Amino acid sequence: MPKRLNLTDISKTGEGQLTEPDVNELMPLPPPYDKFKEPGFKILTEDQRERLVSNLDGIVALALPKPKSKEEEKKYIEQFVSGLKKLLSREDNWTFLQPLLLSLDYCARCQTCSEACHIYLASGRNDLYRPTFRSEIFRRLVNRYARHKGSRFGGNDIELNWETVSRLYELAYRCNLCRRCAQACPMSIDNALITREIRKLFSQELGWAPRELHEKGTALQLEVGSPTGLRPDVVRDNVQFLDEEFSESTGIKITTPWDRKGADILVIHSAGDILSFPESVIAFTILCNAAGLSWTLSSEAPGYEGVNYGLFYDDIQLARIATRHAQIAQKLGVNKIVMGECGHEHKALMTVADRLLTGDLNIPRESAMTFLEEIVFSGKIKFDPAKNNFSVTLHDPCNIVRNLGIVEPQRRILRYLCPEFREMTPHGVDNYCCGGGGGLSVMNNVNFTDWKVLIAGRMKFKQVLEAFADRPGPEVKKYICAPCLNCKLQFREILEHYGAKEKSGIIVGGLAELIVNAMVDIKKPFIKWES
Amino acid sequence: MPKMELAGNTYEVDEHGFLQETAKWNEEIAKAYGSKEGFNELTADHWTAINYLRNYYLQNGICPMIRRLVKDTGFSLKKLYDLFPEGPAQSACKWAGVPKPTGCV
Repeated sequence: MPKRLNLTDISKTGEGQLTEPDVNELMPLPPPYDKFKEPGFKILTEDQRERLVSNLDGIVALALPKPKSKEEEKKYIEQFVSGLKKLLSREDNWTFLQPLLLSLDYCARCQTCSEACHIYLASGRNDLYRPTFRSEIFRRLVNRYARHKGSRFGGNDIELNWETVSRLYELAYRCNLCRRCAQACPMSIDNALITREIRKLFSQELGWAPRELHEKGTALQLEVGSPTGLRPDVVRDNVQFLDEEFSESTGIKITTPWDRKGADILVIHSAGDILSFPESVIAFTILCNAAGLSWTLSSEAPGYEGVNYGLFYDDIQLARIATRHAQIAQKLGVNKIVMGECGHEHKALMTVADRLLTGDLNIPRESAMTFLEEIVFSGKIKFDPAKNNFSVTLHDPCNIVRNLGIVEPQRRILRYLCPEFREMTPHGVDNYCCGGGGGLSVMNNVNFTDWKVLIAGRMKFKQVLEAFADRPGPEVKKYICAPCLNCKLQFREILEHYGAKEKSGIIVGGLAELIVNAMVDIKKPFIKWES
Repeated sequence: MPKMELAGNTYEVDEHGFLQETAKWNEEIAKAYGSKEGFNELTADHWTAINYLRNYYLQNGICPMIRRLVKDTGFSLKKLYDLFPEGPAQSACKWAGVPKPTGCV
């Protein structure tokens, strides 16, 4: 399969795919993983090829059923054009029109962005994954079908047919929306923004969105309270169970407060942490209580679930969830919302919602990073950094660090509490995404997990191994501090795939656990290496 | 929606083979899943875990957290992996006919 592609290939007719990533051409990993026996990408079954659109790269993230007739295809093409026009209209897209226009108009095609993209580099430089491949096709479609003009450099040549529409949909989910390309671009073109606008067009105009993000995501969150399916009564029951479990294992009384009207602070965790990384949630409880704060969780749906997948694909769902979060805080009468260790919750509620929440609803929001820093340096809790007697590296969640510029608070904590802290290269705002960004970490349909781990997560795994290269053996304990649930889930997939806990002694967790692990009052190790 | 034959009947499943209509589950379905993953007979321990998962799901609308599963069945995580080759989420939930956890989990 070719990896040199022309933009016009997107409209090649027929069901053939354009390319296929080759495991032998992927960016090499450091030892011992250079010798890793890679099972490779799962091949689609005949039944899947029969039922599902699979015309891009042999990977299927979206499981779009094949249309039954030419008329159905035609309807989708017409809806796509209508969606293009709406994206370009002030009435329909007041939120993102200006940055979209700036990113559509000024690309100099220099390809600086491709060299900044972990997906393009890790794939072995497959043209399909260049940040510009998707953007330039979209730009030309906009110019031809919505603005009726040629682009600055000509280029009026992309046919809008069923193949273009369906391939562009799948291709919109080969990007982590990490914005490293936007940061590298001399013209500040934001390819991630363009990608998200494409996803938005498909969701809002055609009703197409990944099941994990929409039906089992925002829709479930608005209906039940959380994409995990956690109802208000079940979430309280689970946290109470954890309070008891950890009271027993730590020897200190742990009580998580719920629905306290007039509390100073409302903490909104990602509810998935309760189920998959419960130490994180309990660590917050221990720290807030030890610091003597007036705080609460909310059990009103969806006030206990900080995720907002609307950020990844749909403005309307984004607004609905962000508004509910603010209304719940308002009802409790808190002075501020503290966002848990969740990157996209930060971006949705701190940055994007700033254009949405007006008047009383615009309640101050604070990041877990500065919040935890204040607790650590308040002098109210005694620490013994020697208790964190293992190597630690820090992952920078794109939405917290590159997007919001919150770089140092978490580092000041680690420099103080983790004697064996070491940085990855590059880090801070120049970090690489974990490969789970942009909603991808919760998407696992058909064979998409393979792509997510082998390509999207490859650069990050390489960085982690390099950060620990001086002590590679499994006898040396190593901790990736990833203060974001989506990132932790992606790391969990990567570490499992390569057997990196057994081979290299690497585990992943959050920031709050490291702080609690260093507390003098917590006698037994809080972070456990055996599962 | 893909279909799968289990114990002589055809059922709707997702792309990873999870039963879509949990109400249609019966013990024969659990046995059929088990044999696909190399267990021709299910032991009493299998049924303890499967019944626990199913009951928890029907009451709470969600699968239990692992910690709870471990505590309430008395099985260690290692034992659960011995019983269910792909683990509690990928095998045990599937055999019990309840949906795999969704969202950030």
